[in-house]
Amino acid sequence: MIETKLGEFEEVILILTGILGKDAYALKVAESFEEQTGRAVSIGAVHSTLERLEDKGFVTSEMGDSTAVRGGRRKRIFTVTALGKRVLKECMEFRLSLWKQYPVLESYLRIG
Amino acid sequence: MAQKTNSKDLSPPRAASRLLLSFLRDDLAEDVSGDLEERFYNDVLRHGSFKAKVNYWYQVINYLRPFAFKKIKSSPQNNAAMVGNYFKIGWRNLVRQRMYSFIKIGGFAMGIAACLLIAIYIQDELSYDRFYKDGNRIYRVYENWNDNGKIEKGVWFQAPFAKALKEDYPEIEKAGRYNSSELFGGGPNQIRPDGTSENFYEERFVFADQELLEILEVKMVYGDLKHSLDQPQTIVLTRSKAEKYFPGENPVGKLMVVNDNTANPFKIGGVIEDFSPHSHFQHDFIMTMTGREFWWGEQNYWGATNYPTYVLLREGTNPEALAAKLQKVVDKYMLPLWIKDGRSDAKDLASKISFGLQPIRDIHLETEIHDPVNHGDRGFVWLFGAIASFILIIACVNFINLATAKSANRAKEVGLRKTVGSYRSNIVTQFLTESVLFSAWSFVFGIVGAWLLLPYFNDLADKSLTLPFTEWWFVPAMIVGCMAIGVLAGIYPSLYLSSFRPAQVLKGNLLKGSKGSSLRSALVIFQFTTSIVLIISTVIIYRQMGYVMDKKVGYDKEQVLLLQGTRTIETKLKTLKEELVTIAAVKSASISDYLPVRGTKRNGNRFWNEGREKTDPHVGGQFWVVDEDYITTMGMKLVEGRDFARNRLSDTLNIIINQSMAHELGLKEPLGKRIVNYRPWNIIGVVEDFNFESLRNKVEPLAMIAGISPGIVSVKLNTRDVSSTIAQIEKVWDKFSPNQKIRYSFLDETYARMYDDVQRMGRIFTTFAAFAIIVACLGLFALSAFMVEQRSKEISIRLVLGASMNSILRLLTLNFVGLVLISLLLASPIGWYMMREWLQDFEYQVPITWDVFVVSGILALAIALGTISYQCIRAALAKPVEGLRSE
Repeated sequence: MIETKLGEFEEVILILTGILGKDAYALKVAESFEEQTGRAVSIGAVHSTLERLEDKGFVTSEMGDSTAVRGGRRKRIFTVTALGKRVLKECMEFRLSLWKQYPVLESYLRIG
Repeated sequence: MAQKTNSKDLSPPRAASRLLLSFLRDDLAEDVSGDLEERFYNDVLRHGSFKAKVNYWYQVINYLRPFAFKKIKSSPQNNAAMVGNYFKIGWRNLVRQRMYSFIKIGGFAMGIAACLLIAIYIQDELSYDRFYKDGNRIYRVYENWNDNGKIEKGVWFQAPFAKALKEDYPEIEKAGRYNSSELFGGGPNQIRPDGTSENFYEERFVFADQELLEILEVKMVYGDLKHSLDQPQTIVLTRSKAEKYFPGENPVGKLMVVNDNTANPFKIGGVIEDFSPHSHFQHDFIMTMTGREFWWGEQNYWGATNYPTYVLLREGTNPEALAAKLQKVVDKYMLPLWIKDGRSDAKDLASKISFGLQPIRDIHLETEIHDPVNHGDRGFVWLFGAIASFILIIACVNFINLATAKSANRAKEVGLRKTVGSYRSNIVTQFLTESVLFSAWSFVFGIVGAWLLLPYFNDLADKSLTLPFTEWWFVPAMIVGCMAIGVLAGIYPSLYLSSFRPAQVLKGNLLKGSKGSSLRSALVIFQFTTSIVLIISTVIIYRQMGYVMDKKVGYDKEQVLLLQGTRTIETKLKTLKEELVTIAAVKSASISDYLPVRGTKRNGNRFWNEGREKTDPHVGGQFWVVDEDYITTMGMKLVEGRDFARNRLSDTLNIIINQSMAHELGLKEPLGKRIVNYRPWNIIGVVEDFNFESLRNKVEPLAMIAGISPGIVSVKLNTRDVSSTIAQIEKVWDKFSPNQKIRYSFLDETYARMYDDVQRMGRIFTTFAAFAIIVACLGLFALSAFMVEQRSKEISIRLVLGASMNSILRLLTLNFVGLVLISLLLASPIGWYMMREWLQDFEYQVPITWDVFVVSGILALAIALGTISYQCIRAALAKPVEGLRSE
């Protein structure tokens, strides 16, 4: 089931989309990726990932409002779907379950 | 500061955004370009406009991802239906407009036929000597002789040259020579198998080394290649000659007698396959050089050059470097000889000589280097190619002209197609499809035409070519050619037709055929300029031909019969001559191999004034052996002194020279002076200069002595009844030489053959000029038909109002006459320049006079008027009511 597997980059993009909420369009996602990770990324790369996530049903998209700075053009706003949220949650839980089995860090986490 | 950046700087690079939109899926266009623009303005504020632009480009290029690309527009089924429709509409148009279609296709077909023929001709010319296994290692040595800045190149070397090369240069694996000179027995000879009596005349004899056969990779039929010529007095035959003399048997070891010399027969050392027609080396009888010396010490003599020399280099040898090293041969072998001869300029002489190595495949088309080989002509190849492409271009022009002229008929269709949703690209595709359809038909007819014309073309170009139907590349090449020509001819009309605005054409606003008429005029001018240049060339070539044929050449070439192969008569030759003269119609007869036409015996000799041999440079010239009746028989004129006397004994030390020799030696009063050629000779007469080579060259210095050169008897006739005289001569001949068929030719025919190439060129030009003119006229015919059709209402009204037929004709033809006149103005200097270049080849040239251009102009005008008059007269004779009724 390829559709439910998430790559690392896909996961981050999906989370960022969720964080940005109503402001999640390709440019913003790319910019916040750069801010959060310090890694450069092209809008095209982000867009292509979002498109792929949409194909898998993790996000939906619709045309949003427009602003003058875009020459009056509308944005394509991506929204995380219920399926997307569930997959993210599964991802997180899977990681956590892994972390719990990790001896040193578990105690560290408890302290934190 | 941000205020200062102007609006141009503040918008994203246009090229980049255009690129983006060109590949981006339509549904993504809005938000992606919005995103990128937003990013751009952010970047301008943060990093300045330059960085922003660079980043914009970066972002655009990063959108080159599969997900973002446009999907193919329509489904494949729909596409196929559309293309089907294009073909259907194209076919209907082709059938409806029969005359125009005929002209488009006919013109194209002629162009394609011409191109095909010429393409196979060029391919043939380029395929010489390309079949050797070690072809990239086989070279012919040539000599550069720097004659005061003028480089003369030649291939003749000294007898020991090949051996010296092989001994002194380890890079050379094999070295071989041949000697095809008639002076030594090459060329034409009489031959028969030993034990038979009848001699046969054969032309292609040559002396050669065993190693030359190895270098040329001859294929053996019988015998061993390594030992075919390694014994003295051996001979190698080609398969076809072996079949002729020894049908169905292996003749190796058998004997053959050459020129009745039964004392020294040749033993057959091997039989080889015939040389490929694409080999520059064409001989049937190869006699060995092993153990042969043409005079005592000849094989070690460094003072005579008679041998073209070939080498096979070892793998990895650099030919240029080796050629430079060959220079040492001069210092080592030639210089000592010159110094021993006491030549004061020996050092200087040596510095003038250098050597080169010519790859064997380059020999056929290289005419710079003097050699005894029949060459193709690189200039000819280019000329042919140029003419063929011009004919094709003229045909393309017809297509373009007619398509744009008739555009009005298609305008409504274009408008409608656009209205119902055709893109411009669809319409371009449609018209390109149509022109490819035309081009396909033209190719069919063109290939058939080329096939039909091939025999005539072979005759014209003196070749035996075939169309390569069975070659694997033929069909693909034709298909590619067909597409290419279709697109080439169709691209302009289809862009033009697809540019119509639907609203305008549907309202009927398009002026019929008015747009593009200046382009049409330009194209007609181009066609006629090309045609007139060809006409001018043809006229001048024919004039030069006539000039050459009628020019006084210094001897009388009419009614001279050349009796050939008389060498075998030997001692009885003088009696034969005496008997011939007793025939009433024979004025005189003379025995000499040296005749003033090409293909007879020649030599090269050095002359000095007596006592100046060591100090003066030599005068190069011919040294002919003639008899006392030679000057009378040839109708030559003595300007000073006397002819040789009957009593030959008294003239053994005397010489007759020509004016050119006297001039070159600086002799003001030559009679009684002495000149040296190995020994001194007394000048007893000066003969008027006569052309003994082609009129391309100046008359060379020449000297004649009395003696015997028994190959040819020239017989001067004085009769109307040539055939019965020949019968009488034949009777005499059979008495002297019953075993050998009489063989004769006429001097004037032999002379004419010297200009075969000029004649051939004349015929080729005429043919292709005719081709070009016919194609151009087809176009003109169609254009005039179109013009008449367009103005039919105007003409009708003029006729109704009382215009005379003359004024109508004038109205219709004036425009075309103007175009032809402009073409004449353009063509005259081009033609003049080209033909002046061509005539440079001749020492004796016909002057290019103004009437050439007048004749060509009148001819072109007449052809053009003749072409359009049919349509014009028809229009002028039509009943006005016909043209007006439709409204």
